[in-house]
Amino acid sequence: MSDPTTMLLAASAGAPDSSVAWLLQVPLLPLLACLLCGLFRAWGVTSKLPGYTTVLLLAVAFVVTLSGYLSFGGHGAQVVHGFDWLRVSWGDGPGETLSAGFSLYIDSLTWLWMLFVTGLATLIALYSTEYMAEDQKTGGYARYFSFFSLFVFMMSCLVMSDNLLLLYLGWEGVGLCSYLLIGYHYTKPSAVAAAKKAFIVNRVGDLGLALGLMLTFVHFGTLEYREIFARLAEIQAVVEAGGSAPWQVELIPLLLMVGAFGKSAQLPLYVWLPDAMEGPTPVSALIHAATMVTAGVYLVARFLPMFALSPAALGTVAWVGAGTALLAATIGMAQYDIKRVMAYSTVSQLGYMFLGLGVLTATGAAYHVFTHAFFKATLFLACGAVMHGFAGQLDLRRLSGLAKVPGWRVTAVAMLVGCLCLAGFVGTSGFFSKDMILAEAFVTPGPGYRLLGWIGLATAGLTAYYAFRVYFRVFHGPVEFHAGEEHHGDDGHDDHGHGFHPHAPGWAINLVLIALVIGSLAAAAPYFIDKEHHGWVGGLVHSSTAGEIVRASAGHGEAAAHAGEAAAAEHGGFFGDPHRWMFLASSVVGAIGILLAWVIHMTGRVSADRAPIADALKARLRPWSTLAEKKWLVDELYDALIRRPLRLLAHILALIDQALVDGLVDGVGFAPRLFGKSLRPSQNGLLQNYAVGMGGGLVFILLVVWALS
Amino acid sequence: MSEKLALLHPEMVLFAATCVVMVLGLARSAVWRSACAWLTGGALAAAFVLALRSPVTDGLFPHFLAYTKAMIAGVALLILPVMSGTVDRWYERRVAKGAAFDALRVTRGEFYAFFLLSVTGVMLCATADDLIWLFLALELTSLPTYIMVAISTPRVRAQEAGVKYFFLGALAAATFLYGFAMLFGATGSTSLDAITIQFRGEGLSTIATLGLVMALVGVSFKIAAAPMHFYTADVYQGAASPVSAFLAFMPKAAGLIVLIQLLATVGWSWGEAGDALPDAIRVALWVIATLTMTIGNTLALLQSSAKRLLAYSSIAHSGYMLVGLIAGPGGTVARNGLAAAMFYLLCYGVMNLGAFAVLASLEVRGRDGEPAEADAIDDLRGLFRVRPGLAWAMTLCALSLLGLPPLLGFWGKLVLFTSAIGAGEIGLVVVMGLNSAVAAFYYLRLVRASMLDERDPDAERPIVTEALGRRLAAGLSAAGVVGVVVFASTLQSASHAAATPNPRYDEFLKVEAPARQSPPAATPTARHN
Amino acid sequence: MTALLAQASAFGSVTLYHYLFVSAALFALGVIGFLSRRNLIIMFLCTELMFQGAGLALIAFGRHWMNPTGQVFVIFVLTIAAAEAALALGLVVYLYRRKSTLDAQAWAELAG
Repeated sequence: MSDPTTMLLAASAGAPDSSVAWLLQVPLLPLLACLLCGLFRAWGVTSKLPGYTTVLLLAVAFVVTLSGYLSFGGHGAQVVHGFDWLRVSWGDGPGETLSAGFSLYIDSLTWLWMLFVTGLATLIALYSTEYMAEDQKTGGYARYFSFFSLFVFMMSCLVMSDNLLLLYLGWEGVGLCSYLLIGYHYTKPSAVAAAKKAFIVNRVGDLGLALGLMLTFVHFGTLEYREIFARLAEIQAVVEAGGSAPWQVELIPLLLMVGAFGKSAQLPLYVWLPDAMEGPTPVSALIHAATMVTAGVYLVARFLPMFALSPAALGTVAWVGAGTALLAATIGMAQYDIKRVMAYSTVSQLGYMFLGLGVLTATGAAYHVFTHAFFKATLFLACGAVMHGFAGQLDLRRLSGLAKVPGWRVTAVAMLVGCLCLAGFVGTSGFFSKDMILAEAFVTPGPGYRLLGWIGLATAGLTAYYAFRVYFRVFHGPVEFHAGEEHHGDDGHDDHGHGFHPHAPGWAINLVLIALVIGSLAAAAPYFIDKEHHGWVGGLVHSSTAGEIVRASAGHGEAAAHAGEAAAAEHGGFFGDPHRWMFLASSVVGAIGILLAWVIHMTGRVSADRAPIADALKARLRPWSTLAEKKWLVDELYDALIRRPLRLLAHILALIDQALVDGLVDGVGFAPRLFGKSLRPSQNGLLQNYAVGMGGGLVFILLVVWALS
Repeated sequence: MSEKLALLHPEMVLFAATCVVMVLGLARSAVWRSACAWLTGGALAAAFVLALRSPVTDGLFPHFLAYTKAMIAGVALLILPVMSGTVDRWYERRVAKGAAFDALRVTRGEFYAFFLLSVTGVMLCATADDLIWLFLALELTSLPTYIMVAISTPRVRAQEAGVKYFFLGALAAATFLYGFAMLFGATGSTSLDAITIQFRGEGLSTIATLGLVMALVGVSFKIAAAPMHFYTADVYQGAASPVSAFLAFMPKAAGLIVLIQLLATVGWSWGEAGDALPDAIRVALWVIATLTMTIGNTLALLQSSAKRLLAYSSIAHSGYMLVGLIAGPGGTVARNGLAAAMFYLLCYGVMNLGAFAVLASLEVRGRDGEPAEADAIDDLRGLFRVRPGLAWAMTLCALSLLGLPPLLGFWGKLVLFTSAIGAGEIGLVVVMGLNSAVAAFYYLRLVRASMLDERDPDAERPIVTEALGRRLAAGLSAAGVVGVVVFASTLQSASHAAATPNPRYDEFLKVEAPARQSPPAATPTARHN
Repeated sequence: MTALLAQASAFGSVTLYHYLFVSAALFALGVIGFLSRRNLIIMFLCTELMFQGAGLALIAFGRHWMNPTGQVFVIFVLTIAAAEAALALGLVVYLYRRKSTLDAQAWAELAG
């Protein structure tokens, strides 16, 4: 790289130096889509051009990802160097140069994430072309797709980066896109408030990530994965030989974990995600259910080798995950807004994933991310179809029996399949992925991990209940519906439902729903491929950086699971194998949940908002039912404990700033001004004076030089 | 022979275009006349491509040409759209309405031709390896600019600026010419390589020091460094904003390149650690740099005219670049002060152009009722309400000039700081840091005026010119301030490669040395010490 | 110093130092004239004087080193001086038309 010509040419053409360079298209195509849509917005395009452009470019990105996976999937880690992005050095020694390239680190974990990110993004963009059609005239359509593509670009940076700094850029970038898209309806105060809440709560987590990143650089002297993992392997060897890891290595995972908890909506930072449902539903499906919120899971999975060296971090991840899963499920049971139910179920399912990571089954967590991406996207898009068709109506007390309304069959089926997967019904994809996590929780030795298994199992039952509560209330029972508040187009009626004609989903929405239903069901298939590693996903995880540590850490996780299998084989007992045991237990729990939902919400239903048993139960369970409905007052608690004291502090600091700092700044500004004023006469505009100044200056400098030599 | 010629390919293209443009500007057809700008742009683009393919030389900096010339052509391409409509705008409008075309009256062709000639001169400064060549290149850079200033607007102010620029420029030219004569006298050769041999072998004689200091101070006029800075504010204010933008980059690039060439003859291998300039030269530059930064920044604080403010800020930025020259070529990207200065020059070119382009895009109604160029900072007030895009461009460029991360100016300043720290110039780093802090006061005034302040209800609203190119340039610069950051590291590596001394330069000198004419009596002046 | 004086024979009784002194004097006269006169044409002529001072030094040094480059340099300097003269005269005429005066102090509107 010494020849500046080639370097400049390389920079201008963006052409890196290796044969895998074409993989750079994966992040760059969405970026192109973003720029094009921005231009369309500037040009005032009101057709569906921005939407179709985005779909096309994202589809190409997906195809590139897929062909990349097929060509390099089994080749181990690839590093694709794009260009030097940052290189700041303050010395020549090691650790004195901070460098971060726009370079991709591609191993099987990356492939897994990128496949479903680009795939789902393409489908959801297609869905959006119809869903967002009402905003074509206002120009919001192009803006929406511009942000949407930007999100995919940022997400690719996050997942494909080969260093922590580019990951951080992607991390902040997806946060920004999330903020922009939650606040998409920026004239609506609740949307703006939700956007701000999401951004601010995420800042808390991002602070942790930033600190972790800095500590990583201070300790390792680099931010590049390859070098970090090489150093970690050395430390791992030391630990195995009986030594102990440096305190930094135990602390960094705790800091990274805080970042992960923010982005992936875990206790105590989960509060932003339910409010984020103010954004358009496709956004909720893609960003706030399928992809962005799994970034935290990705981060922990990527740095699992480091987490494995920090028992404190692992324990915290597991406990927080289980706690979040249970808490969110209890809140989800009591909500009436179906999108909010789905939001809490996302929080809850993310809790499962962290539980999986905490008990070191990266395979289970990654597989659950994969299946969850499909079925949760299905659920959200089905909710979105309902919302779109019924003018924004999301209250399950005001919708009923939609399965019998003509034109809604596909949506009903999609909802059913989504709920079955979410409930972990036998044979569905959710069933296999959830059980993988729960089984590991039961067999992994750790502080009270067995209890975690029971919590997870109980949550599975609650999940089945609340999922089917939504399904039975909205799609079964007597046919009844009321329009929501978003009147638009030709249906200018009152919202009592008389004469209101819901418009059934069109081809784009139905097509995407069908594709996702197939995807959700087919996501079970990978479990049966590559049996050796617990499925296709397991195979991917095993050949990634996470897999190395999983294999290496004896006495943990899957090793223990294998031990359990061995024990089962020895004793010939069915219950010896945690997975088989788990299959049985969770089938029963799931079925009970679904049955309860049926009994409580279907017996004696007379209208949309009246289900006698449910109402009676609710009255009986007071005040707990009310508290759950009010989300255990967590928002109020945060308001009293954090927001108000902070506001007070801000007011005090503002006073100090005005009184002290401003005065100081003015004072500091005074001296240079005085100096400038004394110089000002030299600039009096006279040619001769300037010449005198120049000549005098020359003589002065010559005198200085003469005095020195 | 022909491989020697390849060094000059970009200049040759530019010169050919100059000849064509000069004639084309006289064409009767308005379409042909308006082709001047496009032809200029095409020539610059061709020069840019050719510059990237510049051959690697055997000289001290083998890769110097590609980066330097590409930067010059690139920034010139960015300046070009601002230039559109600077001269002849009203005349062309009258012609379009049916007035008779008078070939004696038009200046457009000349204007673009002078633009190209000046750019050619800057490039020749980079190619030069001889004092005669350097002198001619410097004059080729400046002579056209004197005319460009004087004809840039029909207002008396432009002529005043032209007078001051021309006369003080001639004074400075005489100064560095005398310095060159002394250098020739001290070493017996005008070839920079031969001078280098002489200095390495015999050290600096008194005459050589005198010549070098006079040459350095004289050339400082081009970069508007103290004590040759007096003209800057008056000239930048008097000339039309597009021409000021041009003056703030092109002569400055030429001056910086010539300073590097001159300093390279003595080299950075003196001092206690063997990595600094000779003490006398180092102190001279130290004084110049400190004065330049301080004078520029403190005087900028007091201005009410945005153009004068930018002029003083341009003085201050020259001071920053001089810090890089004092630090010297070092060994790594972080340590290479020359590369830092060259990279900073590029950053400065982009961000400063943006600020001037915003001013050039605005007009206010003058006292005589005629539209006049926006000049006062108050003219920017309320810009955000009228033209949010321009207000953003001004904000981004001003913040970048201030050196706010993550904008381009920050990355430029960062390498200057690291190189100065690496060279042990802690005093300069402190001065530079304090100056950067002072600079915040006046750059933020530009931001406040364009983004936050409301316009007085009775004051005239600024009118946006119909010259689309200026807004385009403002937008491109603002985008560059944000976007080029992505490639900052690549560009820094390129500038580092450009300013990395040739490890085999000594061998090259040994080959060159016998070819040089030896004086009748060996080294007469050296004995004087 | 002695070596330089030894060169005296090459110039007859006129040494390099004589030339250098005259050249420095020309240069200094030019500077002084530039600073003290207010007529633009005279001021311009003073800059020409400075150029010629430098030119004289170049010729003297060229002779001293037996290197014709110095003389060649002077030819180029003369060329540039001619170009500057043309430019200056054009400018002066242009200015005179605007203000009917060539007093340098009349052009001091821009300041501060």
